[in-house]
Amino acid sequence: MTDTVEESPTDPGTGRSRWETVQPWLTLACRVGLAAVMITAAVTKYPPALGVEAVEAYELFPPEIAELIGYTLPLFELALALLLLMGLATRYTGLVSALLMVAFIAGILSAMARGLSIDCGCFGGGGQIDPAETTYGLSIARDLGFMALGAFIAIWPRSPLALDRALGLFR
Amino acid sequence: MGSEARKRARERIKEQREKEKKAAKRNRTLLVVGAAAAVVLLVVGIGYVILSSDRGDGYEGEIAQQTLQSDGSVVMAQEGAEAPVVQVYADYQCPACRQFENLNGDTLKEKAAQGEAIVQFHPVSIFAQQPVPTSSNSLRGAVAARTAADHDVFVEYNDILFANQPNQQEEGFAPSELQEWFDGLDTTEEQQADFAERLEQEEPVITEFTEEYVPALMSAAEQEVGQDNLRTMVLTDLIAWGEENGHDSSFLEGTYTGEIIDATGAAYTRYSGENAFSGTPSVYINGEILDNNATMTVRGLSDAIDSAGPGEVESEPADDGGGAE
Repeated sequence: MTDTVEESPTDPGTGRSRWETVQPWLTLACRVGLAAVMITAAVTKYPPALGVEAVEAYELFPPEIAELIGYTLPLFELALALLLLMGLATRYTGLVSALLMVAFIAGILSAMARGLSIDCGCFGGGGQIDPAETTYGLSIARDLGFMALGAFIAIWPRSPLALDRALGLFR
Repeated sequence: MGSEARKRARERIKEQREKEKKAAKRNRTLLVVGAAAAVVLLVVGIGYVILSSDRGDGYEGEIAQQTLQSDGSVVMAQEGAEAPVVQVYADYQCPACRQFENLNGDTLKEKAAQGEAIVQFHPVSIFAQQPVPTSSNSLRGAVAARTAADHDVFVEYNDILFANQPNQQEEGFAPSELQEWFDGLDTTEEQQADFAERLEQEEPVITEFTEEYVPALMSAAEQEVGQDNLRTMVLTDLIAWGEENGHDSSFLEGTYTGEIIDATGAAYTRYSGENAFSGTPSVYINGEILDNNATMTVRGLSDAIDSAGPGEVESEPADDGGGAE
């Protein structure tokens, strides 16, 4: 009867379960890891003219929209990285990051389905490539991993070194 | 009875407190989400302004004199200008080349018109080996540009081709379109007839090259020199190999299609080491290749030109003195 109440072993000192002790640090690791990914993705997309080409290669948007995305997407990634590092609105930043990955995956799947041979342009590069050199599977798997990081942060937003704590959220 | 009432009152107070707590939490969440949204807007907004400031403000002024060279390239420069030589290699079917043209086409025109740069355009076809329609679009565009150079409207025509770049998977640059664009420029009827005649001559050459000659040559080479060796060979090497192995390329002789293919091969052999030509767009200043940051930003290209010394054009003007006014 008694041992079914709390499944995780309890630290006698604090009365906290091991998960409760570890989870904030895992979330912090996810925040830093995902921020590093976002910064790398943003920086490698410079200069924006090449990013525009990468977006156009998906053939999903009219040129003006592709240009806007080419210019603003890396900035958006940079902003998300900043929020993750600051720990501001952690849950929602994690959620938005995960949704961004869902959008990326959808874009890659649609390129695949339409038989395009492009580089995903995830970390710079992009544009038409030799059909033998496409790596859609790898790109999707990578984005799924990043999505998992975002989802973890969204589900367990409590973490140390976060502005949220100072503002009274996810203590 | 009295204790019942007290109990209810206590519960009400408790409920009230819960509500207040929830409201406070909601407010805190709203505040934090609002702050986060503000951070996003700030980063994206300021970043956008900074990045956009690099986009040129357009150049509507005079275009410097254009001189056709014997190798089919075109020099755009003020007469007697002493300035760095900026060589631009582009394929009309290459999307990154269109981005380059959008971004820095005006930079080049302005620098040349002000005597600050000697710009040499090399139309090439890095896609000539690709399947149709990528290859045929690429060649047709380059051949049309080469023909426009005969009539001193290369620079204007170059802009039109990039503005109308077809999708790589779809047949584009139809001869009728190419003619229409040429006719729309400041050209005489005689020039337009010449242009039409040239396109008509080249069209079957491009078709034979992309649909018969290259596929046959590639499959023969694949079997005999192997995939790995084949990958290291540029098209002109492959054509030379074909010449010794029963793939007659004489139909290219004297055609602009052949000239473009030769110009592309020459680009590969002209540079080596760090400056090796490996794709388009490639921009060289006095023989030194520029990196992406210099090629694909207005400031990068301007600074690179401004900081370079005067250079010499290595090619000779074409015999007919194209570009003479």
